[in-house]
Amino acid sequence: MPKLTIDGKIVEVPPRTNLVEAGKKVNVVVPIYCYHPALSVVASCRMCQVELHAPNQPVRLVAACRTEALEGMQISTSGPDATRARAAVLEFLLANHPLDCPICDKAGECDLQDYSFLYGSGQGRFEEKKREGVKHELIGNHILLDQERCIMCTRCVRFMDEYAKSPSLLVKGRGDQSVIATFPGEKIQSNYEGNLSDICPVGALTSKEFRFKSRVWDLCSSDSVCTLCDRLCTVRLEVKRGRLFRVRPIENPQVNGWFMCDRGRFGLLDHCNPGERATRAFAGASSVGTETAILALATKLRELRQELICVLSARLSCEEILLARRAFAPFVRPEGLLFLPAVEEGGDGILYTGRQAANEAGLKLLGIRPATDSELRAVLSTGGPSAAVFFDHKDAERAQARASCAFLALIDVVPRNLPEAPLHADVFVPGLLFSEKEGTMINCSAILERLRRAQPAPEGVAGERSVLERLGDLLKADRTEIEGPDLTSAVTRALGLPQRTLAQIPRLGLKVPSSAPALETARR
Amino acid sequence: MPTYLSTHLQRRSALPLEDALSEGRYRTAERVLAEKTPDQVIEEVKSAGLRGRGGAWFPAGTKWSFMPKELKGPSYLVVNADEGEPGTFKDRQIMEKDPHLLLEGILISAYAVRAETTFVYIRGEYLDSYRAMVRALEEARARGLFGRNVFGTGRNIDVVVHRGAGAYICGEETALLNSLEGRRGEPRPKPPFPASHGAFGRPTTVNNVETIANVPVILEKGTAWYRTMGTTQAPGNVLFGVSGPVNRPGLYELPVGTTAREILEKHAGGMKDNRKLKAFIPGGASTGFLPASMLDVPMDPESLKAKGTMMGTGGLIAIPEGVSIVEAARVFSRFFRHETCGQCSPCREGSAWSDRIIGNFTRGQGRRSDLKVLQDIADGSVRKTICVFPEAYAGPMLSAIKHFRAEFEALAKE
Repeated sequence: MPKLTIDGKIVEVPPRTNLVEAGKKVNVVVPIYCYHPALSVVASCRMCQVELHAPNQPVRLVAACRTEALEGMQISTSGPDATRARAAVLEFLLANHPLDCPICDKAGECDLQDYSFLYGSGQGRFEEKKREGVKHELIGNHILLDQERCIMCTRCVRFMDEYAKSPSLLVKGRGDQSVIATFPGEKIQSNYEGNLSDICPVGALTSKEFRFKSRVWDLCSSDSVCTLCDRLCTVRLEVKRGRLFRVRPIENPQVNGWFMCDRGRFGLLDHCNPGERATRAFAGASSVGTETAILALATKLRELRQELICVLSARLSCEEILLARRAFAPFVRPEGLLFLPAVEEGGDGILYTGRQAANEAGLKLLGIRPATDSELRAVLSTGGPSAAVFFDHKDAERAQARASCAFLALIDVVPRNLPEAPLHADVFVPGLLFSEKEGTMINCSAILERLRRAQPAPEGVAGERSVLERLGDLLKADRTEIEGPDLTSAVTRALGLPQRTLAQIPRLGLKVPSSAPALETARR
Repeated sequence: MPTYLSTHLQRRSALPLEDALSEGRYRTAERVLAEKTPDQVIEEVKSAGLRGRGGAWFPAGTKWSFMPKELKGPSYLVVNADEGEPGTFKDRQIMEKDPHLLLEGILISAYAVRAETTFVYIRGEYLDSYRAMVRALEEARARGLFGRNVFGTGRNIDVVVHRGAGAYICGEETALLNSLEGRRGEPRPKPPFPASHGAFGRPTTVNNVETIANVPVILEKGTAWYRTMGTTQAPGNVLFGVSGPVNRPGLYELPVGTTAREILEKHAGGMKDNRKLKAFIPGGASTGFLPASMLDVPMDPESLKAKGTMMGTGGLIAIPEGVSIVEAARVFSRFFRHETCGQCSPCREGSAWSDRIIGNFTRGQGRRSDLKVLQDIADGSVRKTICVFPEAYAGPMLSAIKHFRAEFEALAKE
């Protein structure tokens, strides 16, 4: 492994590492525009020039992004030559840049703004009329192009070609007349369009969903996952006044690389900002407090012992699954603790898996049995169990449960407040969105990831976790398997991992061993 | 003084194959392919000291020796006929008047670099050159001079004639390769160099037309004979192209190291209408302006480098008294602004910005402080980009300021 010195810091890197990546290892930031670790290297913005010092040789400037770190290299990012070269690049890039930061969505997280502040001169000498180009043109379903702000790094072109596998952008024209454009008469049609606004280092590509909605510094961000398929891309949820404004992927090599799909990115905006939703609990025909509903459910469960089935949902966190298992296992009939696997829609071959079942792997690894729709319908209608608890109203609809159950309980997030319980459930308890929860989920490649609460729970909604814990206690369920410093430590134990609390779950997740002990359903 | 490049350049049309053969064309190639190994050819070209005539004057034999000796898969020779440097018009004459000189050079060179296929990349505007080359190639193929089993040696050597689409930057060898492959004509970062990753990712040698046209005579008459012409470091003759208001503009085949004065005054017949020479450009637009007082400089790479310029392509432009150097600089700045590929930010923005500043001077709107800006634009871009294009636009701009600063200052408004 080559060992080299960057700004006086010694770093050892794997062979074929470039100098930008080598710098990252010792917290030396090499400023970049065109370079992106997921894309081919063009080395054209010239921002990453660093000094290469060699004995008895003049100092040489090299583009860090396409220079391989070699044994014994002496690199300086802050010597006079590198400093001058960077300042010159910034003066060139700003020459025709509109400097409309006050009305630009990128302001506050713009590499051109930030690097100009760090390395620029503070004073421009370009006094000519600036170049004009296309402004805010919708080039796909989400992204608007502003050619005047563009610095021609071509990340977007390479992204569409190389990652999205949907070549739809090009560099049109030559020299100072070159611009980013779509092919004539065409627009971007891709599930990955939204990433363009993240990878654009300036404000040339913005999304119509976020445009003019908020200044970025007013957003509160929480790192969580996207639950719209079981890839569980690691994402940052950005919230203002309880409302989700923007979702961006976080680099996570073992889950989503650097990106996320549009179904998740824009889908979450609807998913997490549902507008009106059912926030009142019901027992029988009347709206009641949560505690009353839980008591009613507990009474019913004792009554219906062994006639019950419980249909868990992939929207539940591992902690909630564990609590549900503990509460319901003693009461359900044999094999009555189950879930309906997602309908396979077919993925896009990149990130989207086509399985809209966030924590399905968690259900499986925690020993919950998959059942088919028809199996479930058969169980419900052949006079078997006459009672069912559902955690997803769509599952209940799929199983046509209302028609065939004598008793139906539902704990879920349901679109709107009605005068009666959703699905006319005998007991209804409102649930929480994933973005209102702390906990963990497991993705399709068995990576245990952390959910963080990004939005406050609606008033009066206690959430699945406290409902299930309370229910278990009322039913005097055994506490052994949920004991520990926190519930996550119980989950990790149950998964055969070394015990870890929620706070100890690493940022990029934990690989769950495929041989996780499929747990015996506790019965009594 | 022996000449070997310009023998037929006075013709109106291409020398037909029959005439070329009767003069002995292709005999050297036949003998070389039969008697010498590729490495022996490379050694001879090396010891002859042949240097690239495309402007950079890189030793051709050395370039060839970078090509891999053991091959798995194809390698290529690419002839750079994208002659676009303003003031340069030598390669087209070779292709249009004496295409078999180039083709014989290709046979020998392709053999030396172990290339079965040669691409001749011809500037898009050079339709006549393209037609002449296609016709000559057909003639030669019909005679079995190209194709399979050339001269019965068992070797396959063939040529693809390819037209560019009219971009100066495609004369840069890696931009040429991108263009040849159907990509945007943008220079590639180096390394890797074409000798390892060239056309279509294969080992490739790129040589200028005139360079290849020098090869047959070296193999025919030998290294010692070749070295009787030119300088020790740059032997041989060059096709000097003279343009501007001189009495006999045109191409002159003269040894490397002939002084600019001899070329202009003796061969090109001096200035027209007794006009006085004010400045000259030694080797194409990018080499910049030299004042008339430097006319005694020998036109060879080393002497011109010592004067702060370059030998370039040998395209010598005479500029008479009465012509504004600022205006002349503007002609070039506009050209280079138009021709930069634009991928590297310093070059894209720098070429355009400097053009606008020089434009301001031509309208009397310049400022003295702008001269510093122009210098900074050059400093911020030269040797800081993927290719040497900034050197090209900085050449005329900086030399104009260096030698004719007063003209800029006279046009400054403050």
